[in-house]
Amino acid sequence: MSNDLVLENEILNLIKSAFNAEGNVIKSRRVEVFVKKDQVSSVLLFAKEQRGYIHLSHSTCIDWIEEGEFELIYSILSPKDKIMLYVKTRIDRDNPVMENLDGIWHQLNTYEREMREMYGIEFPGLIGDKEFCLEDWDEIPPMRRDFDTVEFARKTFYQRPGREDAKDVRKTLTEQSGEKIPDFATKYSRE
Amino acid sequence: MNIVKDKKSQHIVDYIKEFARKNSLFVMAYGTGCGAIEIPPTMTSRYDAERFGIRGAATPRQADVLLITGYLAVKTLKRVIRVYEQMQDPKYIIAFGSCTINGGMYFDSYNTINALDRYVPVDVYINGCMPRPEAVIEGFVALQEKIQRGDADNGKKYQENIDWYRENQMKVIKNWNMPDYNW
Repeated sequence: MSNDLVLENEILNLIKSAFNAEGNVIKSRRVEVFVKKDQVSSVLLFAKEQRGYIHLSHSTCIDWIEEGEFELIYSILSPKDKIMLYVKTRIDRDNPVMENLDGIWHQLNTYEREMREMYGIEFPGLIGDKEFCLEDWDEIPPMRRDFDTVEFARKTFYQRPGREDAKDVRKTLTEQSGEKIPDFATKYSRE
Repeated sequence: MNIVKDKKSQHIVDYIKEFARKNSLFVMAYGTGCGAIEIPPTMTSRYDAERFGIRGAATPRQADVLLITGYLAVKTLKRVIRVYEQMQDPKYIIAFGSCTINGGMYFDSYNTINALDRYVPVDVYINGCMPRPEAVIEGFVALQEKIQRGDADNGKKYQENIDWYRENQMKVIKNWNMPDYNW
């Protein structure tokens, strides 16, 4: 097993030159590329058909609320090279529409339905029930960061008294490690 | 229900009735959360719950005990209510773990209820995350003592206070499309 990242750099440079994309080798066997929204299908098809990245491992979404964007990640794996390639793209948070790619891997259908429900991303032409895990949900999608889950639970579910003296463990942990809690995270602090 | 007119004889009849009830607890085979993983060791040879007369039942109409094993999503709560209402009186609920008591580690989740006894009556709470099989058996023994005392009549209480329970249930279950069971 070589440690000079030959295969990693090869696939990275191929995608960089062919699609004019950014990217880097994270570590051994892990490569990430940042592509534009309309290039995702071509990059995925190129990697699948030409380079042997035949396995869709995972697909998920990250909410970058400060930048007003959603980041969609497609993790695909080449069983031959044993490399995981992360294809990342950013879409607008106010108008979250993404191309429906379940024609490439049918498994994407499940992930896209989950993203539609949990983040409210629209996939035009996506087949499947509107309800995936939730039932009769009429708030904003719950995995978005502007959804205040503590406030929602307080308002919806009965809170049994007795938890008032619960301490925020993050404070103790950050004091030990010297790490700073970001401002958006302190919003959920119990103190 | 009084079978005999004499008060002393009724006491003996009650004793035999409760004795039979407490020693044949049929548990509904329905796992709702992560706690269901504690049921197989409780039932199998290491802890052998059947020596207390505890065994599984396939359908709600054959079961006496409904175990709520862990956190309850709102979606699952709807099914639990439906199962509970189908069960025949006398029926008991044992609630498992911290999540059923005050929400546990899911106290701020958008989709799990925090206090089970607002929605269905609970006979015995077992705390722990998760309770070990010894604790589960302890809970069952507590239920058996309650039955022998004649205190375990939550099925009746549920019928009497059905309006209060319905109000709480409908607060979280928005689309109420359930059948009405007239017991």
